[in-house]
Amino acid sequence: MKNKNIIKLNKKISRRFIFLSLIKGSIVGAISWRLFDLQLIENQKYEKLSDNNQFDYHLISPDRGRILDRRMRLIAGNEDAFHLVLNWNQNLNTDNIIKRISKVINLEEKDIVSFKNKIKNIDNNFSKKIVITKNLSKKDLSKLVVRSVEFPEITFFMSKRRIYPQGNIVGHITGYVGGITNKNTKNYNNILSTDLKIGKSGLEKFFEKELTGKFGRKRNEVTSKGFVIESHVYENTIPGKDIQISLDMELQAFAIERLKRGNLKIQNINSVNNKKNNNSFFYLDDNNHIYKDKNNNIVDPNSGSLVVMDIENGEILCSVSSPGFDPNIFSNELGTKEWEYLKKNPRSPFLNRSISGVYPPGSTIKMAVALAALESGLIDYKTKFFCSGSRKLGDSEFHCWSKDGHGKLNLIEAIERSCDVYFYELGLKVGINKISLMMKKLGLGQYYDLEIDDRAKGVVPNKEWKLKRDGLRWSLGETLNASIGQGYILTTPLQLVTMTSRLASNGLKITPTFLIGKNKNGFESLKINNEHLNYIKRAMERVVIGENGTAKNYKIGNKNIEMAGKTGTVQVVRISETEREDGVVKNEDRPWEKRDHALFIGYAPSSKPKYAISVVVEHGGSGSSVAAPIARDVFKHLFGFKQTG
Amino acid sequence: MNYKNKFSSETVVLSLLLKFLKINWLIIFCLAFLGFVGVISLYSAAGGSWDPWAKNHLIRLLFGGILMICIALTPTYIFNKFSILSFFLGLIALVWVKFFGTGDVARWIMIGGISFQPSEFMKLGLILILARYFDYLPTVHLESLSTYIIPLFIILVPGLLVISQPDLGTGLTIILLGLAILFFVGISMKFIIISSLLIVSSIPFIWQQLYEYQKNRILVFLNPEMDKLGSGYQIIQSKIAIGSGGVFGKGFLLGSQSRLNYLPEKHTDFIFTLISEEFGFLGSMSIILIFCLLIGLIIRVSLNTTAIFSKLVAFGVAFLLFLYLSLNIGMVCGLLPVVGAPLPLISYGGTSLLTVLIGVGLVLSINVHEKKI
Repeated sequence: MKNKNIIKLNKKISRRFIFLSLIKGSIVGAISWRLFDLQLIENQKYEKLSDNNQFDYHLISPDRGRILDRRMRLIAGNEDAFHLVLNWNQNLNTDNIIKRISKVINLEEKDIVSFKNKIKNIDNNFSKKIVITKNLSKKDLSKLVVRSVEFPEITFFMSKRRIYPQGNIVGHITGYVGGITNKNTKNYNNILSTDLKIGKSGLEKFFEKELTGKFGRKRNEVTSKGFVIESHVYENTIPGKDIQISLDMELQAFAIERLKRGNLKIQNINSVNNKKNNNSFFYLDDNNHIYKDKNNNIVDPNSGSLVVMDIENGEILCSVSSPGFDPNIFSNELGTKEWEYLKKNPRSPFLNRSISGVYPPGSTIKMAVALAALESGLIDYKTKFFCSGSRKLGDSEFHCWSKDGHGKLNLIEAIERSCDVYFYELGLKVGINKISLMMKKLGLGQYYDLEIDDRAKGVVPNKEWKLKRDGLRWSLGETLNASIGQGYILTTPLQLVTMTSRLASNGLKITPTFLIGKNKNGFESLKINNEHLNYIKRAMERVVIGENGTAKNYKIGNKNIEMAGKTGTVQVVRISETEREDGVVKNEDRPWEKRDHALFIGYAPSSKPKYAISVVVEHGGSGSSVAAPIARDVFKHLFGFKQTG
Repeated sequence: MNYKNKFSSETVVLSLLLKFLKINWLIIFCLAFLGFVGVISLYSAAGGSWDPWAKNHLIRLLFGGILMICIALTPTYIFNKFSILSFFLGLIALVWVKFFGTGDVARWIMIGGISFQPSEFMKLGLILILARYFDYLPTVHLESLSTYIIPLFIILVPGLLVISQPDLGTGLTIILLGLAILFFVGISMKFIIISSLLIVSSIPFIWQQLYEYQKNRILVFLNPEMDKLGSGYQIIQSKIAIGSGGVFGKGFLLGSQSRLNYLPEKHTDFIFTLISEEFGFLGSMSIILIFCLLIGLIIRVSLNTTAIFSKLVAFGVAFLLFLYLSLNIGMVCGLLPVVGAPLPLISYGGTSLLTVLIGVGLVLSINVHEKKI
């Protein structure tokens, strides 16, 4: 009985045993298949994932190319910048560390604030590197290095910082660099690539490709905690190319200084009890100078633009816009206060007036009008018109700047004395479309192929333009306004200097450039009658040397080298008839924004034109008394005359 | 007297020697191989250093090996006698840890400076007491269901105690082990079907009783991408390590995943991933095969013996090894949720090592003391 049962049990056990073995076998089979799948079939995928874990790829930014002026002076370069970095982990008392560091060096408030924000926003517990400041001076660096035993948590990191040794005199042209925004960054150790700066404006932006060079690549072996074990550079960087531009920094510095001063008096701030004029946006320049007007009120320095061009090749030697900004502020982390200060400044220091600022050209346009008339054959050199001080057109009266009129005069006299009535007559004779064609021929109302992207086109109006813009017909009165450079017409200082060059070069299609040697193949001709051009040029010479010339007080005074040019005074507000009868309020007595713009365009030497200039002093007063002397002094500087006063 | 004494002592020595020669050396070879793999893996896990794990592991292996040989030379009936005692000692220890345990989860007990997990030893206690119970029972009773009420209690009490520690992995191992023995001994199919239905229907209830971290582990197991840096991180990184090993592996000491600390717990539960990464598919498969060989050898002992106690003990030890193997590897290659399950003889940890060696010692003892018919 018992035996039978045992046999039965044994039978059962062996059945169950086989059953269990099958289950076990299939489980082991499943595991083996899983391993086969992972290690053989999907091997490549996991190898890649493992590599991603193991290695952290970085770009190494190359040294950015320098920007040099025509005499190889440094305009934009690089400087070693030291970063102070904290090797963060969750056990650190960051406040305490900052406190201890602050005892050794001065940390800037904005750095501490942004550091604390970064600490606040940490979302996982992996240790990582957090920048405390990117702006460590060499002195502070050595102070901390000496005490490195006390600060085991901090390390240093070296990178390049963009510097602009010329400060704010050429900020508009160079532009500035800034970080890349909206870039996905890995959560650790990517200091290098986040530190990458790209050109944001000006030449830095235009030549971004050339200046940047080629990125290197680096492979870091990192642990799961983000520590770099080994670093391997497998693609070297190629530094960016240097760019040489046509500007002459010495001239630039002189020009901005001269433009800012204008006819104002200059005083060192230390020698005055500085009473700040609250209404004015008090602008202190690098030299701690303040500016005073005739009545000894502290005022802002002149704002405006000054451009000098080499007539032979269109190279721009000097392009000044005042007030300027110092591009260095963007290389450091810009504090909100500084930014607000610059942004709120009503004189818009970020506006590059030379290229993006538009102004009515005023009387400086008269050569174009005269040339249009001569080319059309409607007048000749002898044609005279009578100026009584105003010209009636229908019900309206168009005034000459000279209340009593100029009497009977020919073209040369009209330009020399800048008679408005003469040009009203010309405008009526020639018509707006021919005038606008000539303006365009001379370079107004168009973009040039320039190395700076932010350009203004300006406006050269004609009948079609007005119809398209307003749906209205052109009126004759508007032709009169256009003939003296008022009304719709708008030009940039760069366009004015280009126009001057084209006139002075006897009708070559000169285009401006910031690059040396770009136009070495010369220019094509505009096909303007040379005789006409010579005539115009003679008139421009008379403006300076003629006894009635509007700029007769500002001769260079050298027989061989004299300038020729044209003044322009641009009315900003309309003068009503009643005002005119009551006597026009003197320019100085109006609020700054309502004063006239002072313009001057010119070239020198008048006998063999070499340089062309355009000067715009915003709300500066009359072109002859404010803009002409600035141009004269710049020419004098260019030709190496000693300056007086 | 003297003569007699001398004779008897000579007999004892002689019989010990004979017994020693009867030991199944193939089993010893498998254990030694796996132990050796464990030592070199721990050496690699420490970045090519004997400290802190490899040296200790080797010492434990030697100590456990000696203990195993001693057990092998001890007659089997002694274990039969002590089986009930061992079970209740284990139970007391489990209750003890529940209230006075050390460690961040109450799994450990300290005796004389050595800490161990009673839950591991409980597995052996369970095997022994179940074997004793069915050995004691007349075979006729095996047919009736009421026979299995006591064994069920014997299984569930320690199982649930361990789960409540909380240690889901070991607790389930204990329950599965017990149930496998019941199945092996011939519990009726009807009962199996009814009880499995009961278990399935109680899953929602069990789910509620689980700790938050246990629930998380199961959820993350179902979708590891859910929590890439948390619980899912282990599974993802472990799969990367295994998968990147390829056929031949990255080479000894060259596993980037382990060297750069992407592998969590690489010296304990996840040691197999390190082996897979450094020795590839061939390496991991040979370990599985050696394990299977070991299990097979033990099962052969079980089949060759006639006494119910010996049969069940050997079967239990074989099944225990199988459970260790499949839970651990199933877990690291992402087939099972991450539950704490060591890979005996290889992963660092004294208790599971000792448990396996004692268990195999019991099997060797059965083999040695088997009367050849």
